[in-house]
Amino acid sequence: MITTTFQTARFGEITVEPADIISFPQGMIGFPNSPDYVLIQHQENSPFYWLQSLSIAELAFLVVVPTIFVPDYAPEVNLAVVEEIGISEETPHIVYTVVNIPRGRPDEMTLNLAGPIVIQPETRRAKQLVLEESKYSLRHRIKDEPAERAA
Amino acid sequence: MLVLTRKLNQSIKIGDDIEITVLEVRGEQVRIGISAPRDVVVHRKEVFDQIKQENLASSEVDASDIPDL
Repeated sequence: MITTTFQTARFGEITVEPADIISFPQGMIGFPNSPDYVLIQHQENSPFYWLQSLSIAELAFLVVVPTIFVPDYAPEVNLAVVEEIGISEETPHIVYTVVNIPRGRPDEMTLNLAGPIVIQPETRRAKQLVLEESKYSLRHRIKDEPAERAA
Repeated sequence: MLVLTRKLNQSIKIGDDIEITVLEVRGEQVRIGISAPRDVVVHRKEVFDQIKQENLASSEVDASDIPDL
């Protein structure tokens, strides 16, 4: 197996096998010039992963499988997307969502349920969707907001 | 930026296969119809920008803030 090494800001030098690469033909939203990523688990047994760019060392998005927190989450994947990354009705696909945690405030963690990442597990082609007029929030709070917050 | 004036039900063609039509004008709201090939992605700019912003913020998360589950 031919492996390639990449420099990353968070993980230093990483070694990647071709089969590990997840390819976004159109990039992540806002980052059209970085098509290739790998998933790096935050820690052993953690549900959180970093989607590390292989072209921009500093770029790594924190992602998680959203159904861990939102069991009934079921974004609609439209036909154009299905064709673009080669998903059919029968193909199982993996969904991740982008996680945000304001610095020093882990209780305020949110998931972007309006911009899920869909991965075709066999070809490892992927796309970040934009769910328009969706019931899903861009900043879905995981923990309930405190009833009253000290100023 | 190219600026064109259109009336109700008039259209603009972009290339051969994209057509944008003014469907309704009501006060400050304009309803626009877009017909484009399926591989052309069309979004409201605000939603796109917000997702971009969420992506950017996510890439700046401090790993020490990630909860253990």
